[in-house]
Amino acid sequence: MFDKILIANRGEIALRVIRACKDLGIRTLAVYSEPDHDSLHVQAADEAICIGPGPSPQSYLKIDRIISAAEVGDVDAIHPGYGFLSESAHFAEVCQSCNIRFIGPSPESIRRMGDKSLARENARKAGVPIPPGSDGPVQTEQEAIKAAKKIGYPVMIKAVAGGGGKGMRPAHNDVSLVKGFLAARMEAEKAFGNPEVYLEKFIEDPHHIEFQILGDKRGKIVHLGERDCSIQRRHQKLLEEAPSPLIDNDLRKKMGRAAVKLAEAVHYENAGTMEFLVDGNGNYYFLEMNTRIQVEHPVTEEVYGIDLVKEQIKIAAGERIPSEFENLRPQRHAIEFRINAEDPATDFRPCPGTVSLYYPPGGIGIRMDSHLYGGYSIPPFYDSMIGKLIAVGPDRAAAIARMQRALDETIIRGVKTTIPLGQRIVRDQDFRRGKYSTHFLERFFEKKVQSAS
Amino acid sequence: MDIKEIKAVIDLMRKNSLTEFEYEKDGTKIRIRRGPDGEPQVFASSPSLIPTQTVLPIPAGLPIAAVTPSPTPAPAAPQEKLPSINSPMVGTFYASPAPDAPPYVEVGTVVNAETVVCIIEAMKVMNEIKAEMSGTITEIMAENGKPVEFGKPLFRIKPA
Repeated sequence: MFDKILIANRGEIALRVIRACKDLGIRTLAVYSEPDHDSLHVQAADEAICIGPGPSPQSYLKIDRIISAAEVGDVDAIHPGYGFLSESAHFAEVCQSCNIRFIGPSPESIRRMGDKSLARENARKAGVPIPPGSDGPVQTEQEAIKAAKKIGYPVMIKAVAGGGGKGMRPAHNDVSLVKGFLAARMEAEKAFGNPEVYLEKFIEDPHHIEFQILGDKRGKIVHLGERDCSIQRRHQKLLEEAPSPLIDNDLRKKMGRAAVKLAEAVHYENAGTMEFLVDGNGNYYFLEMNTRIQVEHPVTEEVYGIDLVKEQIKIAAGERIPSEFENLRPQRHAIEFRINAEDPATDFRPCPGTVSLYYPPGGIGIRMDSHLYGGYSIPPFYDSMIGKLIAVGPDRAAAIARMQRALDETIIRGVKTTIPLGQRIVRDQDFRRGKYSTHFLERFFEKKVQSAS
Repeated sequence: MDIKEIKAVIDLMRKNSLTEFEYEKDGTKIRIRRGPDGEPQVFASSPSLIPTQTVLPIPAGLPIAAVTPSPTPAPAAPQEKLPSINSPMVGTFYASPAPDAPPYVEVGTVVNAETVVCIIEAMKVMNEIKAEMSGTITEIMAENGKPVEFGKPLFRIKPA
């Protein structure tokens, strides 16, 4: 087992990793940017080293300084968290060459599955369904029409160089396809410097369902069920739950098997997540893989009683995945709400500032993963997520009731947060019935506007 | 003379309306003068009566982020207002180009922007750190062979 780990991250996930290390008796070294000097993860770690000024490219993304800190601190391993360098194959390679264990998959895995089109290719080879699409970019309107006919309308026109939900538009017939094709190319050229577009089947009212994967050094891969992350705003997840209200045991078995098969095909090691789109008819399509621990990992942890970060560390140290992890069935229900320092009233503008009062929720079935404390100043350089509120219960109704109670209880003064939005979502009838898709929030906001007018 | 004895003398002076008292023995000299408001003023030149400034030793195992006090006692304000040359990287600080060589700079050394002031070793690479400003070194703030983090003050410098 490792003696000392460097956490190459900040905020709530750095605190999360430090906690797992403490549980394992591993010493911790935090790295931090100058504005993060008083951050909770710095205070919680055994040691801390400043690695640069605020902006991430000069601190949390500075591979040379992080590796220097690792050497100066004499660590055995580095945990990259999520975001930042967690999916940098280059960083994983540098760690390897410096004899520091990277707590995550191999650089090759990161490359093979981090590249969207390579990942789709691997999925296709492994027999995992992918959204039907054009084989590569379509160069002319004629090509587009031909491809759309093969795929079947409706289709989505996507920019090859796009991402994060940008550069996509749907088309329902040849006329809108041609119009959309030309407009999309122009937009893509402007936004990404590359006008190329490809076509993909437009899956109506999908659920975004992802499967948690764990792989050990001996090649054993298991899945730990699904998370439903359909409630998104501009393709940013806001609320996640496990199990998914859409998935029954049969579909869970089928999709779980597909996720494991794909991970096995690429010899995946450590924690990872396979993302799928699922339509109302039980058809599922592989979207992409995240080769790291995810923000929403706590819902899986709470449903199965497993510490995923601890498992990451154990796997990296060479331990086997326990056989009990196979074929687990969800016994509880968990919901996570991401609390962002954003003002819902001004289109979710980020609100960095000082938290004058912080009272976290508590009681049975409530977990708050946050680096907040009274008096903490949220720096403006990083994303606006300041905490994750997780509610667990024996079933979905109990989890929702606890989430409602906990959101009502939470006090964060000094900055605007998205808590009021969470309070409204958990009271929404469609949400409570489990009837939602990735269009939920769009429609939710429309409903609000309608009722207000 | 200890405090008890000084108090006794002051008491005697007050009682007897004496304005000045001087005492010398074995290198220790004390003069007590009653000020215009009748309050005594004590002047001492014995080293034992001047409070010494202790330099706190760095306990073993202290986190790297803890403030490391400068090796020499920090004098009053004027020094602290001077700028410092801060570490641009994470690594180990070396004052000399080699273990047996003299240090790059000392207190009083005049430097310009291109003067190499120290080495910071990171990942087995010795990086020469330049002053980046002209002036005179007034204080060495980092310890030879010890790790430094980004932003750690290395030298206090009086700009030219």
